[in-house]
Amino acid sequence: MKKDPKDQLSNYEYQFIGKPVPRHDAWDKVFGRTKYADDFDMPGMLFGKVLRSSYPAAKILSIDTSGAEKMPGVAAVLTAKDVPNNETVTRFGQTHQVGGFEGLYRVLADKKVRFMGEAVALVAAETEEIAEEALARIKVEYEQLPGVFDPLEAMNPDAYQVGEGDSNIICNYQVRKGDVKEGFSRSHVVVENTYRVPFVEHAFLEPESGIAWIDDSEIITIRVSTQVIEHFRDVADVLGIPHNKVRVIAPMVGGGFGSKEDITVETFLALLTWKTGKPVKMTWTREGSIISSSKRHPYVMKYKTGATRDGKLMAMEAQLISDAGAHVYLSPWVLLYSTVDATGPYDIPNVKVDSYTVLTNNTFTSANRGFGAPQVCFAYESQMDELARRLSLSPLEIRKRNYLRKGDALATGRVLEYGVETEKTAIKALEALGEPSMPSSPTEKIGQGLASGMMSYGRMTFLHDTSRSYVGIELDGSVTVRCGVQDIGGGQASSLASIAAEILGVPMEEIKVFIGDTALTPIAGTTTATRMLYMSGNATLKAATEVKKSLLPKAAEMLEASPEDLVFRDKKVFVRGAPARAIPLADVVKACAADGVQLYNVAQFNAPFRELIDFKTGQGQVFPDFTFGSHAVEVAVDTETGKVRVLKLVACYDVGQAINPLSAEGQIEGGALYGLGYALTEEVILDKGITLTPSFSEYLVPTSVDAPHVKTIMLESRDGAGPFGAKGIGEPSCNSIAPAVANAVANAIGARILDLPLTPEKILRSLQKL
Amino acid sequence: MIEAEYVAPSNLGELFKSIEGRAERVKFVAGCTNVLPDLRAQNPAPMLLVDLTGIEELRRIEENNGVISIGSLATMTELAASEIIRTHGPILASAARALGNPLTRNRATIGGNIADASPAADTAPPLLALEATIHTEGASHAKREIPVEEFFIGPNQTVLNQGELITRITFPIPKDPSASSHIKFGLRNAMAISVVSVAVVLEMQGNLCHRARIALGSVAPKPIRAYLTEKELEGRKITEEVLESCAEVVKKEISPITDIRASAQYREHVTGVLLKRALWQAAREGENSTNGNI
Amino acid sequence: MATYKLELKLNGEKLSAQVLAHENLLSVMRNKLGAKEVKNGCNKGDCGACAVLLDGKAVNACLTLALQANGKEVTTVKGIGTEDQPHPLQESFVRHGAIQCGFCTPGMIVSSKALLDTIPNPDRRQIREGISGNLCRCTGYNKIVEAIEDAALKRKS
Repeated sequence: MKKDPKDQLSNYEYQFIGKPVPRHDAWDKVFGRTKYADDFDMPGMLFGKVLRSSYPAAKILSIDTSGAEKMPGVAAVLTAKDVPNNETVTRFGQTHQVGGFEGLYRVLADKKVRFMGEAVALVAAETEEIAEEALARIKVEYEQLPGVFDPLEAMNPDAYQVGEGDSNIICNYQVRKGDVKEGFSRSHVVVENTYRVPFVEHAFLEPESGIAWIDDSEIITIRVSTQVIEHFRDVADVLGIPHNKVRVIAPMVGGGFGSKEDITVETFLALLTWKTGKPVKMTWTREGSIISSSKRHPYVMKYKTGATRDGKLMAMEAQLISDAGAHVYLSPWVLLYSTVDATGPYDIPNVKVDSYTVLTNNTFTSANRGFGAPQVCFAYESQMDELARRLSLSPLEIRKRNYLRKGDALATGRVLEYGVETEKTAIKALEALGEPSMPSSPTEKIGQGLASGMMSYGRMTFLHDTSRSYVGIELDGSVTVRCGVQDIGGGQASSLASIAAEILGVPMEEIKVFIGDTALTPIAGTTTATRMLYMSGNATLKAATEVKKSLLPKAAEMLEASPEDLVFRDKKVFVRGAPARAIPLADVVKACAADGVQLYNVAQFNAPFRELIDFKTGQGQVFPDFTFGSHAVEVAVDTETGKVRVLKLVACYDVGQAINPLSAEGQIEGGALYGLGYALTEEVILDKGITLTPSFSEYLVPTSVDAPHVKTIMLESRDGAGPFGAKGIGEPSCNSIAPAVANAVANAIGARILDLPLTPEKILRSLQKL
Repeated sequence: MIEAEYVAPSNLGELFKSIEGRAERVKFVAGCTNVLPDLRAQNPAPMLLVDLTGIEELRRIEENNGVISIGSLATMTELAASEIIRTHGPILASAARALGNPLTRNRATIGGNIADASPAADTAPPLLALEATIHTEGASHAKREIPVEEFFIGPNQTVLNQGELITRITFPIPKDPSASSHIKFGLRNAMAISVVSVAVVLEMQGNLCHRARIALGSVAPKPIRAYLTEKELEGRKITEEVLESCAEVVKKEISPITDIRASAQYREHVTGVLLKRALWQAAREGENSTNGNI
Repeated sequence: MATYKLELKLNGEKLSAQVLAHENLLSVMRNKLGAKEVKNGCNKGDCGACAVLLDGKAVNACLTLALQANGKEVTTVKGIGTEDQPHPLQESFVRHGAIQCGFCTPGMIVSSKALLDTIPNPDRRQIREGISGNLCRCTGYNKIVEAIEDAALKRKS
């Protein structure tokens, strides 16, 4: 599959690829026609609600549901005892089971609750109001337990045990390369700091929602806002029924950012519809969503980095501790990403990384845009600037002297075989940033900052990831794509249309992409890990190419030309160099159909399959490839109030090949603001397990007047593992922005803040004004 | 489950007739920007929702003999756009522009903002600095005029009796409306609850401050006047040194709390900073910022 | 429980429903009047996804009592333009890539329309101010601002 970048075409040679075409789903959205999960009603449906734990850590002594059951209009009240297989384990990988970490979790809490949002009981009733009232009438007797809320405390052997095991430490990884002691001894400067990053809320605009019903053939069907339709397997396991008796449909999703990767409402809906025989809808309130759904992991990161006098990195030692919250979920994998990315896009001869993820009684943490990469990026990029300052080198210069290049190996031994253009992205980002602005008042200080980042795209290679796509051409020349992708807003479906359009020479409007239905579309895997374009794009490219191949002999015969000379364009087949010699594509298709030629193809794309790496040394291949890029920002800091204004923001990332530049830019701009919130205002604040920021009044997502205009520079190395040389951009795009802001603030005020977000208060403290 | 009834009177006469004998259950509603979220969060007793939005007489903004009168239903959008307010009470226009966002500003009313009595109520500091009077009407047409500094008691508490309605808010036109200033400091540039807000109105004689009215939001259980600081300033020239001493004095009359937005210590510090800036701006012929948010 | 008759014009069509005193317009629009294009993002006035025009003014439907729309005209994104007669804003949002997940879009279009009705030629600062009650988590607002700017230009010409 790997193609040399110089063998890829450039944008002007393509008809659709690389062209800023309107996305096919945008029209429906702009006219208000798109039906999201909660927009779908069924006759006679019930409304489901969840009773959540009143304490972050407690024993459940008894649950009395009789008051709720007696209420008119209540159809079902379920507790742990009603769930056929309540105890299940978080398994990793939808299609390939991997050993190592299995986190016990329960659909409904039994005996013990571990966090404030934990589901204890379910209700289905005729109206939302009745369901709400029924929740109030369920009596749960708790015995409060002390709980533990600080991951460092939770690591102590005698700490309160969050789960039922004998340690709160879920797992530990190590990376070992060279000898750090030796490396530090040969360093001229060594910087050492501890960095902290907070819980982050995904803050998608569409709260978790779904509706379930039992169809005519007794299939439990769930139409749900999800990034993973393959949870149908988990749902079936909970109910104790065969996997093929559960169907999951994903409509357009109103934002996911990782939190709709884990199961949200689907198991609850399946249980309630299975129990009542009626359709059931469940939509979480915003407060319910913030309190009970996954968050981005807070980390405590101890970093020590050494460099020679001329700025060559000699050694890096990092200890990473992440707060997994109350349940395991994806914490081990998020931690593995952080561990592999811990040294950033730099070539360092001696590396030692030790990482831990730890259970606490906080809200559980799991996938969030960046999946463990942004946390460590904040740390290593802060270290790089600190080294530059100590060595009197410019931030760009020290990075240039250490960037990894194509063919180099990561600390984990993985050789980078695709494009690595980090240096170019940094240079371009800084160029575009330009000269510093003048301060607008004597108390204002201007600063500029640079940060580079790397993040993988595609899932971990030991998960043996696969995707499938169906491409078929109809008798009128229109094209049908069927692919089980979930479209969470990134243009996941539309990019498949671009690819099919390019190969088959059919206009975008005549391509219909059916997505996200386990009964009707080939399973394509998760819309996570920035894998969809890479995996399903490649599968669709393969399928479309096969369809074209099968049409070629007949077309060649009809045009009396050689197959190699045929060009598919504008729903016609042309002979290269003789534009007059063309026939309608539909005629070729009809002729092929008459001859019994197969007019469709279902292709499977397999990522590289590797085995589990050695967790004691970290050596091995974990990812198919990485996306590299840089952010440059300019800030103005009010030194009397500590308020930061972002004056300029440049994002420069190598996307390999933009399939649709509008979509790719949209990812880069959206990612920049997602990261800017992380840098400046966003933090889920928990006090002993209780969320103090349960709504968007307290959890501060940047508004349009907080956001600077993002200048986007897209590099196209055409040297990625995706279709046409594309790399993934969805998650990497948010990676390096927070450290760029932190570096700019440090540049402005001459003091470095080690904790995100950079609130006005922390800035004044670092200026010693408080 | 919420039990509620609804009436929508079209004038005050109708209003008081409709709530006769039911005053204890009355909940006045207009913009609903606080009422609806509160209803969702609490489990309230049965209530009578009295929708004021049809009462045209409560909507007027006018000037009579040197007094500005604002109907309690005037929205933030209307206040921000009103020529009368922009001319005679620019700090109130600034506060109105800084509240919430364009959608909530189209709904939120000045009467509601005051009646809700949040310590962070955006319009409270300007009204305090303008020495406004709250005009109310209760059952059997009992009318009261309450100076705004006596109106607030504590967080979400006022001197209003159950069933007593704010009809309008008045303030005398300041001698020099431009010698005033308003600053709201929040953690975002829109949809922000203030961390500290400051409004000042000065009467200047040359560079001598003859009279000062200083009000603060989010630094005490209720929006407050800073009387000691006013005294500190009055009769003095506005110099860096005087501003510094004001910033010190003001710390003695505030009692900020620590919450998720900021610590008490931070609020104390920033109150001094913003006060100095506001006084300086007002003294320099208080060119009001185009947007009260900073 | 007492219910009340609500009569209003929704996108030009006269409709009525029986509603509760305390029900908000958002819930009635979605659950009783079939206007699913009005989105529920927070039900608290913090996100703007439910923005509608109430007699021409942009408001959060979640912060409006349903009965306060009695006798009034409510306009949603569907009333602003349709496939046959798209509003320049709608075309511009699509062409500029101002739409990702699309959940904020109906409210965003409503606020943009209200902005252009008040300020036909807004500068970028005014555009950002005009949509500052509408959160978007996907786009970073860049392309939305550009789309509104372009729509204003197109409307002028």
